[in-house]
Amino acid sequence: MALDKTIHSAFARATGPENVIDDPVRCRAYECDGLTGYRVVPDLVLLPRDAAAVAAAVRVCAEHGVAFVARGAGTGLSGGALPVADGVVISLSRLRRILEIDPVNRRAVIEPGVTNLEITAAAAPHGLYYAPDPSSQQVCTIGGNVAENSGGAHCLKYGFTTNHVLATEVVLPDGSIVTFGGDSPEQAGPDLRGVFVGSEGTLGITTKITVRLLPTPETVRTLLADFPSIGAAGDVVSDIVAAGIVPAAVEMMDTLAIEAAEQAVHAGYTVGVAAALVVELDGPVEECEVQFDQVKRICDRHGCTRLHIAGSAEERAAIWRGRKAAFAAVGRISPDYFVQDGVVPRTRLGEVLDRIAAMGKAAGLRVANVFHAGDGNLHPLVLYNAAAGETERAERLSAQIAELCVELGGSLSGEHGIGTDKACSMPKMFSRDDLAVMQRVRDAFDPDGLCNPGKVLPTPRLCGERPGPYRPHPLEEAGVIERL
Amino acid sequence: MSTPTALRPTDLRGVRDAVLDSAGPLAIAGAGTAAWAGDLHPVDAVLDTTGLTGVIAHNPGDMTVSAYAGTPLRELNETLAAHGQRVALDAARVARGATIGGLIATADAGPAALARGSMRDLVIGATVVLADGTVARSGGHVIKNVAGYDLAKLLHGSYGTLGVLVEVVLRLHPVPKQTATLALDCPLAEAAGRAAPVLDGPYEPVAVEWRSHSSGDGSGPAATEAGRLLVRIEATPDALGARARRLLRALGSGATEAGAQEWAAHAERVRGRPEQAVLRLGARPSTLPGLLAALPGAATDAAALTLGVGTGVATAALPASAEDVVAAHHAVHAAGGTSVLRDRPAGLGAPAWGPPPSALRVFKAVKTALDPEARLGPGRFDPWI
Ligand SMILES: Cc1cc2nc3c(=O)[nH]c(=O)nc-3n(C[C@H](O)[C@H](O)[C@H](O)COP(=O)(O)OP(=O)(O)OC[C@H]3O[C@@H](n4cnc5c(N)ncnc54)[C@H](O)[C@@H]3O)c2cc1C
Repeated sequence: MALDKTIHSAFARATGPENVIDDPVRCRAYECDGLTGYRVVPDLVLLPRDAAAVAAAVRVCAEHGVAFVARGAGTGLSGGALPVADGVVISLSRLRRILEIDPVNRRAVIEPGVTNLEITAAAAPHGLYYAPDPSSQQVCTIGGNVAENSGGAHCLKYGFTTNHVLATEVVLPDGSIVTFGGDSPEQAGPDLRGVFVGSEGTLGITTKITVRLLPTPETVRTLLADFPSIGAAGDVVSDIVAAGIVPAAVEMMDTLAIEAAEQAVHAGYTVGVAAALVVELDGPVEECEVQFDQVKRICDRHGCTRLHIAGSAEERAAIWRGRKAAFAAVGRISPDYFVQDGVVPRTRLGEVLDRIAAMGKAAGLRVANVFHAGDGNLHPLVLYNAAAGETERAERLSAQIAELCVELGGSLSGEHGIGTDKACSMPKMFSRDDLAVMQRVRDAFDPDGLCNPGKVLPTPRLCGERPGPYRPHPLEEAGVIERL
Repeated sequence: MSTPTALRPTDLRGVRDAVLDSAGPLAIAGAGTAAWAGDLHPVDAVLDTTGLTGVIAHNPGDMTVSAYAGTPLRELNETLAAHGQRVALDAARVARGATIGGLIATADAGPAALARGSMRDLVIGATVVLADGTVARSGGHVIKNVAGYDLAKLLHGSYGTLGVLVEVVLRLHPVPKQTATLALDCPLAEAAGRAAPVLDGPYEPVAVEWRSHSSGDGSGPAATEAGRLLVRIEATPDALGARARRLLRALGSGATEAGAQEWAAHAERVRGRPEQAVLRLGARPSTLPGLLAALPGAATDAAALTLGVGTGVATAALPASAEDVVAAHHAVHAAGGTSVLRDRPAGLGAPAWGPPPSALRVFKAVKTALDPEARLGPGRFDPWI
């Protein structure tokens, strides 16, 4: 059912007719995000130019009961920006002004369509930068980052998006505008800003964001170390942590991921080695040098077979190019692949990797691993060949890996979100009551269920009715929690 | 008025039973280290969390701990110290035995919030009992986690009005090998200027605070006129000396190395004296000194002030009357900030909150969703809710 003429013209009035796309062919450009397996062509795409137009468009939705989905750059990997049938997409791509860079108070006020990297570019002349650094930072928007509570390699030391957002102006699902948070971390009442960040576009649309900026570190030291086993590399991470060192980043790649990245960008990684570790420290020069020496000694102690220390900004960039290219590079060694995102307690990294390897073997599929080793955030890449009919098997393996993470006391997602992709896995991690309470919170923001419906929380329509027999929670089985 | 029933559960089941077995208005009490927010209306029962203590699981390798919400943070940190770890929160009330649940519910924090944030940044999972007995968990046991809504954030700053925190999972930081505190005497008006090179430079300070010298007993100079800027760094032993020397140069003339006891003096001013009305307020850092100085009674020797120069969070212990507190709330609001009464003499009769924020509508809707009968903490958000 297409939206009728009255509604259509109401949207045109709200945003200006030139900011409405209704041509189905052009609407198709918005049919999916980075998770391309799910596609829905929206009825309309709205491209408002300011917050008032966003609010006006949302009011039309509220008045006519039309579902809406906010969209930034569409790089999300969990189907968060997947349109809903008979609904509209509200793209924030034209709200891209940098409203204020305040070097004295070290903050920036920006509109949601500004890309992550543009914030740092605007802050750099003042010796400041925006810390959270998703690999997609050249294109992803700050609005999308806020919605996903995005992380990045350097979040180990500096924290995630939620730790850097001071305030967000939000158009609520009834079209009214409120501000969560404020000019300081002090808030009057509950931390609604914290609830909004990471809510995956289901509680409203952010139209203005105030973020903290940090002084650019004076020293950055980066090394690339090879190890004969994943276990040895894992022990290095443990020892770094035990020494009380908080690196800016600790990233790990396995043989297959290294092979792919090296083929793609020739960054100087050792092909064939079992594990490569990228460790970066930053901060005051004196601290950095002392701790970097400690890290080098820890690497040696665990049988490091090659230690490459970046001697220049170019060499450092090359190390990171290899790491950041890994996702895309896997396309070179496999026709198709799924990117998974799960978290385990860091101390269980070895165990989870062994089990993933065994699961891959059983499924007859290869799995490459790239991960934020410092915080136990895995990105297993499940390689498959769609033409050979392997899609379903690969999809199943990928979902099983995420659920394995929960079984080991971790999480379904560390940074890519639940979206459409994992909504049906949520009962693996949360009890029915947990989910019901989350739904109550959602209803408080969006009583009519119009704001990105079908995402994050499982629905019978999406996941099938699953009353079923009582299933103990995995953490309950592990004796970590008790059920009453 | 009859005395409220005292409930003192010792585990999750006990909390749920206590909530279900009682009816009517219910207050949640921790260690009672501050009289935060609005005065409670009469309640039928008080749920005391101090029986909910102890570590549930500490995973040193993962740098996480789960503990019962009634555990005093000071005790928890003593336990964790054996592993060289700690919860990096240094709120003034910690020394008085404040519980982790109470610190979350009151959104409290200390000087280290500059680098480590407040409890909202340290809590990674929570188990909450709602007013209808529902037990809900959110988050988990890993630091990085974006699955589901973060209900612990809702409890942060909820002052006991949305649910009972029972179990809390926290991320930990290493106990620093060494710390150094540098001090510089200057009046409030100069604090931001003197601190600027430190905050803008590559020094990674953990805390940058200014505090008035006045102890608030009327024996010293006006609070705004004389005070001390304090900077704390955490370092490895081999780096400490060089970093401290460089910081001293950045701070300029008059800066000296001081002892850790400076922070105890700072905390004393945050807590205030029994006869003072203590406001916690936040605003854009550059506006704060002017704002503080203009609060009623601030520029006298009977006030005590602290200022998070980098964070924009301050406390003002004022020799205040109820009218002065109202005036202070309005001044903060006019400057785009927020304020709450964190302590006051009994019977002051001053409102705890100023003009409401735009988000109040959402807070009210959440309150209705989670506590439809408005059982929990009646009065805490007077006159808003
Ligand atoms: C190659 C690649 C690498 C990546 N690396 C990382 C990484 O390192 N770390 C990481 O965390 N993620 C990573 N991602 C995932 C993705 O880039 C992030 O989730 C990003 O934050 C999405 O931003 P976006 O602008 O593309 O949002 P979209 O994909 O357009 O939307 C994402 C979600 O946000 C909502 N949304 C968008 N704008 C708003 C708004 N203004 N208000 C409310 N809701 C809104 C949408 O409804 C949707 O639910 C990567 C993706 C790719 C393709």
